[in-house]
Parts: sequence; C-alpha cells; structure tokens
Amino acid sequence: MSQIDFATFEILNEVGIITLDLPPGNYLPIPGFIPLKIFKQWIGSDHLKGLIIRGRGKNFSAGGNLEQLFKESGPPDTMQCLMNEGIELLNCIQNLEIPVISVISGVCFGGGLEIALASHIRVASENALLAFPEVSHNLMPGMGGTVRLPGVIGWSYAVNMILGGDIINAKAGKEMGLIDYIVPKDQPFTFALNLMQKMTRDRPLKVIKSIMKSLKNARTLSPEAAMAEETKLFCKLAADEAERRKTEEA
Amino acid sequence: MMIHWMIEGGIGHLKLNQPPSNTMTMDFFREMRDLVNKIKYAPGLKAIIIHGHGRHFSSGADINELLDNVDEQAMLENHRLFAQMEQFKIPVISAIRGVCIGSAFELALFSHFRICSEDAVLGLPESNFNLMPGIGGIQRVARLAGSAKAIEITLRGNTFPAEDALKMGLVDVVVPKGEVLPLALIFARELPENIDIEYRAFYLHKYIKPLNA
Repeated sequence: MSQIDFATFEILNEVGIITLDLPPGNYLPIPGFIPLKIFKQWIGSDHLKGLIIRGRGKNFSAGGNLEQLFKESGPPDTMQCLMNEGIELLNCIQNLEIPVISVISGVCFGGGLEIALASHIRVASENALLAFPEVSHNLMPGMGGTVRLPGVIGWSYAVNMILGGDIINAKAGKEMGLIDYIVPKDQPFTFALNLMQKMTRDRPLKVIKSIMKSLKNARTLSPEAAMAEETKLFCKLAADEAERRKTEEA
Repeated sequence: MMIHWMIEGGIGHLKLNQPPSNTMTMDFFREMRDLVNKIKYAPGLKAIIIHGHGRHFSSGADINELLDNVDEQAMLENHRLFAQMEQFKIPVISAIRGVCIGSAFELALFSHFRICSEDAVLGLPESNFNLMPGIGGIQRVARLAGSAKAIEITLRGNTFPAEDALKMGLVDVVVPKGEVLPLALIFARELPENIDIEYRAFYLHKYIKPLNA
C-alpha cells in the first residue's frame, strides 16, 4: 500500500484501488488531489488491468475545500496553476487505457463529481447524492465538468445541474445516465470489484488496452481516423492470435 | 451466393444466405461490396431489410479463415462498407432472429433500426478469442448505450438476450419471432424514403415506437 496525505493506493488481483482518504467528507484540499507524478507511479506499477476510485467511509467526496482554496490561491495566476494540476490529473484518468470505475457512496459533490465524470463506469450506492454546488458560491465546475457532464447526460439535464446546483439522488442519476449501476449501500465496492474482475480477469492486457484505446479514439479523432485506427488495432491482435495458435500447434 | 438480394414493392431484402449460421466469410464481404455499390444506384428503392436465412441472423465472421488471412486493407474496406450503409438515405432495418453476434451484430448496429425476436441472442464475444470487435461495434454500442456499457460488454464478451439489448438501447423493438419480418416490412413502408442517421431518435419516436404500441 502506498500513501500520500489525502489518498491511498493498493493493488488487489491486478486491480488498482485509490481511496480518497480524508473522512468523513474526503474533501479535496487541492484540485490536483494526487500529484500527477505519484499517480503515474501508482498506475505504472505492475501490470494493472483496471482502476477503482472510492472514498474512505460513508462518502465519496464532498469536493474542493473552498475556504482553503480561497486562502491559498492568491492571485488569479496561482489559482489557474492549481486548477490546471487538477485538470491534468482528471484528463490522465479519463485517458487511461484500462477501465476506471468510480464507487460513489453518499456525497459526491463538485470536485468529487468531476472525478466520477472522468471515470469510465459509475457505480453508486442507493443513498448517493450528486451535485455541482459551485453556483451557490458564485463559482462554476472548473475541472472539465461543464464539458464532460453534457456529454454524459445531455444538455438539458446538465444545464439544470450546473446552473441550478440541483442535488440528484442515485435513482435520478441512473435515469439520466449519470449512474450506470445502483447497488445496496454496503455493497458498491464489492460490486465494482466483481464487475472489474468479470471484465478483465481472463483478458490479456493488450486486448483491454486495444478496446479502451478504440473508445478513446472515438472521442479524440475524426470518424475516418478512428475507423482506420480501430482496424489497425484489430489486425495487430488478430496477427498475434494467429501466431499464438501456430506456436501452440507446433 | 452468400447473399440473396431481392427487390419487392420497392423494398430491398438482403438475406444472409449461408444457413444454418450464415457465417460472414471473405466471400460474403466481397459479395457485400458489389451489392452495396449496386444498391447505391438502384432507382426506386425505398428501404432495405437485412435478415438471415433460417433460424438465425448470423454468427459473424469465420474466425479461422479470418486469422489465416489477416489483411488490414481488406478489414478497413469492410469497415468502410458498413459505414457507407449507415450513410444511406433510405432506411436500413435489421430484422434479427436467433443468433446475432460478432461482425453480424456489428452489421446490425450499422443499420438505422433493429427489430429483434424475443429469443434472439446478441453480443460481441471477440475478446474471448483474444480479439476485439473490429468493424465499428465498440463505437456504435457506445453511441447507443453509452461508453460504460460499451466497455463492459466488449471486455466481458458475454452474449445477452433481446430483452437486455432493448434495455440498453441496442435494439429498438422486441417481438415474437414470427412477427419480426412482418413488422420490419411495415416499418420499411411507413418510414420516410429519405432519412438521415443524425436524426435517428426522431424517426424512432415518430414511427417505430408508436407502430409497436
């Protein structure tokens, strides 16, 4: 197990587990709640097939600690710098070529929701609450939430959440597509781990990476380029498999 | 012939014709390429219905043949071929009965609408063979059911029943197997002759869902 001030990292059956570790609220003291360098060390360790992000205790995360942020930020440039670290970390999570599941128990607000949105699959406990409350402090989501949320739930719901600061429960989150699974409140982590095992246990890392990369390409490349890239990834796997079968026969 | 093509009352019937499993071989894709070129210039064609001969839609590619002939250029052409069908201005409807997995499910996912029998079995099992869906299936599932589902079903490689596919939005209508083709024909007649895949949701709610109610 590896630890920094606000988070711990462990590996269980080839699955990395990050636990936000400032209970009860698991506030994020700074936007870049894990230094990118440490995050990359964690993820680079061994051959991880998946990543699960959860919060210690009852809540996922109540988001940024605004008072601390205001106190420490100083001039706009410093604030921008701090935010950029958070944005870079979340982009790095979203672009991972292994599946990332967020396990959302209890409160998932602001920066917490930003983390959940950067994940690929969101599992929530039945008592989960999700919101971007920034607007009530005359702020807005600042780590990509205004870009990612409409992509997940569509403009109409996203405007309500971002501009209205509405708090959404798990059931409503599921209906609008923000939550992929709702599970009883003591089980979300077990459920997520089990789902991750079903997806990755019997799969070689290269298959996982090829599929994840293909999905990422759909987001970042033109349709024509994504198509060509997918064909290339497929043919590489097919050539490897043909070779493996030949070796097996011999 | 691996594909049986017939036009009746302005509606093109594209039948995957290699029963019992209607495997999609390299010959199939060659025929498909010629057919798509022909269809592009077929006057008076109002809609296309894709279905399988016999009990099944298709079990997808012949994996042994495929592994013996890994050809990136040919694969990319197959991919472009499906994408071309998606861009057709006339409605393309897949009428799915029985097994519809792998490349066959990808073909169905490139259609504009999917009508499915209750007993159908669908899925993208490629990862079980250390492969991945190679003809746009991942992207299409992500568009219809969200990227979380796309990751889950392609990595797990499990097959699933029609009812689950309906819940995920991967098929549009589920009916008893005897009603699949008749319903496809009704949709083919009712849908506008000039459509745009961008507005799929609109056609779905205006034509498909009410007719099925």
